[in-house]
Amino acid sequence: MKKVLALFLSCMVLLAGCSSGGGGKEPAVSGGNSGGSDSGSKAEEITIWAWDPAFNIAALNIAKEAYSKKNPDAKINIVEFAQADIIQKLNTGLNSGTTKGLPNIVLIEDYRAQGFLQSYPDAFYDLSGTIRAEDFADYKIGPTSLDGKQYGVPFDSGVTGMYVRKDYIEQAGYTLDDLKNIDWKQYIEIGKVIKEKTGKDIITLDPNDLGIIRMMIQSGGSWYLAEDGKTPDLAGNAALKEAFELYKEMMEANVVKVNADWSQFIANINNGDVATVPTGNWITPSVKAEASQAGQWAILPIPKLPQTPNSVHATNLGGSSWYVMNIPGAETAADFLAETFGSDVEMYQNLLTNVGAIGTLKAAASGEAYSKPDDFFGGQQIVNDFAAWTAEIPKVNYGISTYAIEDILIVEMQNYLNGKSIDQVLSDAQAQAEAQVK
Amino acid sequence: MLTMKADRTGLSIRAKSHLTGWSFILIAVVMIAVFYFYPMVQALILSFKTGTGSNLSFTGWDNYVRLLSDKTFLTALTNTFIYLIVQVPIMIILALFISVLLNDSKLKFRGFFRTAIFLPCVTSLVAYSVVFKYLFAADGLVNSLLMKLSIIHEPIQWITDPFWAKITIIIAITWRWTGYNMIFYLSALQNIDSSIYEAARIDGASSFRQFTKITVPMLKPIILFTSITSTIGTLQLFDEVMNITKGGPGNATLSISQYIYNLSFKYTADFGYAATVSYSIVVIIVLLSILQFKVAGDKK
Repeated sequence: MKKVLALFLSCMVLLAGCSSGGGGKEPAVSGGNSGGSDSGSKAEEITIWAWDPAFNIAALNIAKEAYSKKNPDAKINIVEFAQADIIQKLNTGLNSGTTKGLPNIVLIEDYRAQGFLQSYPDAFYDLSGTIRAEDFADYKIGPTSLDGKQYGVPFDSGVTGMYVRKDYIEQAGYTLDDLKNIDWKQYIEIGKVIKEKTGKDIITLDPNDLGIIRMMIQSGGSWYLAEDGKTPDLAGNAALKEAFELYKEMMEANVVKVNADWSQFIANINNGDVATVPTGNWITPSVKAEASQAGQWAILPIPKLPQTPNSVHATNLGGSSWYVMNIPGAETAADFLAETFGSDVEMYQNLLTNVGAIGTLKAAASGEAYSKPDDFFGGQQIVNDFAAWTAEIPKVNYGISTYAIEDILIVEMQNYLNGKSIDQVLSDAQAQAEAQVK
Repeated sequence: MLTMKADRTGLSIRAKSHLTGWSFILIAVVMIAVFYFYPMVQALILSFKTGTGSNLSFTGWDNYVRLLSDKTFLTALTNTFIYLIVQVPIMIILALFISVLLNDSKLKFRGFFRTAIFLPCVTSLVAYSVVFKYLFAADGLVNSLLMKLSIIHEPIQWITDPFWAKITIIIAITWRWTGYNMIFYLSALQNIDSSIYEAARIDGASSFRQFTKITVPMLKPIILFTSITSTIGTLQLFDEVMNITKGGPGNATLSISQYIYNLSFKYTADFGYAATVSYSIVVIIVLLSILQFKVAGDKK
């Protein structure tokens, strides 16, 4: 018994030691911002959190280099976390009421941005005086601003395109022009012919991810939430209804290869199982990963909704922006963003050439790197095309509950596919969403 | 006089030993109070608040009313109970069966088999979930094996079909936890006097009769213990669902714990309601444990 007790006590001491050790580490990670004595001076150390080493972190490194040339004293720590971890850390950190351990700059996905901005008032630093919102693509301003104040520095564009396997559509008797500027209805018809002639599906979809619905409705200037970003707009949303009907039609036409996760999605593309991939431009590196398919791909404008009158051949999927946390060091952090992602046209050329990141700064939407032809896509000037489509993306308000509503819609979509009527599906979803986001 | 004096010293010795005893457990009591009870009370208070992120305000019973009409919560609850009702009995019976087999003193390589069956318990939850996800993929090992053996003609959608996804989760957790329960039974079996079995054999009792009339009754307290811990474990199911199916397809495999995670971190953070859902698990676990004690526990 004594031994057990002794063991228990020593465990306690050990645990206590661990926790204080952990606590001691935190300020070190978050840099000198906890010192606070020299706040305001430009020599402060700032910490940045982001995910994806091949994309966001690589972009940060380029920005850091550019900034260090002008401000040799600046100390910038770039820390990589998975996106889910950043969300957890931010939520728990901001709720705990202490700013210790929080970064100075953080990357937040556009779909989630309003959730953070509205849930934690005063936690983010107002950048209205630091950058000019009108310098960036219109559609990025909705998610990154609140009550007329600009909180985020818009970063990558989630502009979409339709990646097409030229060899498959030619086998089915089409040319690229036949698929240019089509609507989703024609898309399904073409899909049926391709399936018949080549045996390939036209698209691969994950039933747990309604990205295609989001692309469809944003192309018509509509979203899961009304303009105010709070009221769910599901029942009576004509664009959403049309998107649901098209989704079902696509499923029933037997032209969809179902995947269960991201790795299967990529595998379906690289194995040549599908003829087209309508998605965000960030898929480019993954498509190009299969070098043996060089020259067989082309990128066309995304199809539009056939009945929604203002639907265009441009929409968005994903994308994120930079935010400054309202903690000591905010001025330095804001300055860093203003001088790099906020204005540095030269740096954006660099980002494009080295990382393949298409930014949303309007002034940077031209230049040599933008018009460079890409041999993988048969010499097409893909960045030029994407930049042109970026300007056309309808501006919508993603609101605070995109993902909560999407989870409701995923379930209701299954009910719809199993025979429930569309109006019932959407009004049920509306009722659930209202209970969820009140 | 003499007796009184003796009494007094006796009292002070008892008081002293009480003091020593209390001071020893004081550290533990304080630690438990600070790290268990304080958060529990705070969570209870939190469960009466609503709002996103840090904009919390009291709403009284609103969260609990919302809980009862929340379709997603009810689906998660149903799923969890399906796991519970199907998986726990299968696992308990399997563990019991294996432990009796491995307790046979004539069996060769007992140590090897015991280790092999216990080994899944030391693997990381996330690591094994990822492996299972690949094993049960549409073109995974399990499907190709079944196809090669001509048991099935087209691949089973283990992950993307609502029914089969539940089966996959049940197979996974059974694989992971059977060995853990088996160890409890094995150690309990070793405490049963072999002379009882000998007597039974002399009386002509069959092996099956020995199992139902001797082994099971003697193991009753352990069976109760393992079924309670398994029930609690299943109600807290998270890692497997999160990593194998992400709760999908739709909500078909969503567990209560995963719903709590979604409310806190996947959606715009609503910690108040998430705490309410957490407390629903507490209530369910308490009720189920009382039930199990009533059904299987000793009357004394």
